[in-house]
Amino acid sequence: MSLDLIEPILFGLLAVMILGAGLGVVLADRITTSALLMAFTFLNMAGMFVLLGAETIAAFQVLIYVGAITVLILYGVMFTPQAPRSYGLFFQKQTPLGALIAALAALPVMAVAFAFRDSGRLPARGGDLVPIATSVFKDFAFPFEVASVLLLAAMIGAIVLVRRDEE
Amino acid sequence: MTTLVPLGAFIALSAALFFIGFAGVLVRRNAVVILMCVELMLNAANLAFVAFSRRLGLLDERGSVFVVFVFVVAAAEVAVGLAIVLALYRNRPTVDVDEVKEMRG
Repeated sequence: MSLDLIEPILFGLLAVMILGAGLGVVLADRITTSALLMAFTFLNMAGMFVLLGAETIAAFQVLIYVGAITVLILYGVMFTPQAPRSYGLFFQKQTPLGALIAALAALPVMAVAFAFRDSGRLPARGGDLVPIATSVFKDFAFPFEVASVLLLAAMIGAIVLVRRDEE
Repeated sequence: MTTLVPLGAFIALSAALFFIGFAGVLVRRNAVVILMCVELMLNAANLAFVAFSRRLGLLDERGSVFVVFVFVVAAAEVAVGLAIVLALYRNRPTVDVDEVKEMRG
C-alpha cells in the first residue's frame, strides 16, 4: 500500500477525535472531564496544524493551549468546588432553544464552508517559522507592541480581581 | 504524490467545532465550562486562519501571524475570566451563571 491516502486518513482520524472530544466538553457531567477533553481537543488541533504544514503554530498550540490554558482552567475548577449534583443538562429550559439556535446558525455556515476550493498555488514546503517571524516584526510590529500592553493589562487586572482585602 | 485534503474540509471542521463551542456557551450553566467553550470557539477560528493561510495562497503566512495574536488574546481572556469567576465564588460559593445576579445591569 502506498502512502497516497495518508493525509486524508490522518485528517479523518483527527477530525473524529476533535469533534468527539469537543462534544464531550459540552456534554460531560463532570467539569474535570470537560477540562481534560478540552486539552485533548487542543492536542488533536495541533496535529491538524502539522497536517496543514504550520509546525510553528502547532508548537505554540501545544505550549499555550495544552500547557498554559488547560492548567489555568484546571486551577479554576479546583478553586471552585461544587456540591456534587447532576446538572440535568437535558432538562433545563434553555437547552432546546440553545441547541436550536446553534443548529440554525450552523446550517448555512456549513453549506458555505464546503464550497471553498484550494487556489492553484501549493504551499511551499519547509518550516513556517521564518515567514511568521519576519511578518510579526515587519508588518505587525505595532500590533505586537499592543499585544504586550494587553497582556500586561490582563495580568494586572487578574491580580487586582483575586486580591483579598487586608483588614 | 499524496492526495491533499481539500480546503473545504478544514473549513467545515472549523465551523463544526465553532458551533459545538457556541452551543456549549448557550447550554452550559457552569462559568468555567463556558470559558472552556469560548476557548474551543477561538481554537476553531485558529484552524480556519491557518487553513486559509496555507491553502488559499494569497497571504503569505499572515494568517498564521493572526493566530499568534489570537493565542495572546485567548490567554488574557482566560486569565481575566477565571479571576472574575474566583472573585464571584468568593462572595457566593457558586459558579452557576443562573444564580449569579450581582453582575446584572
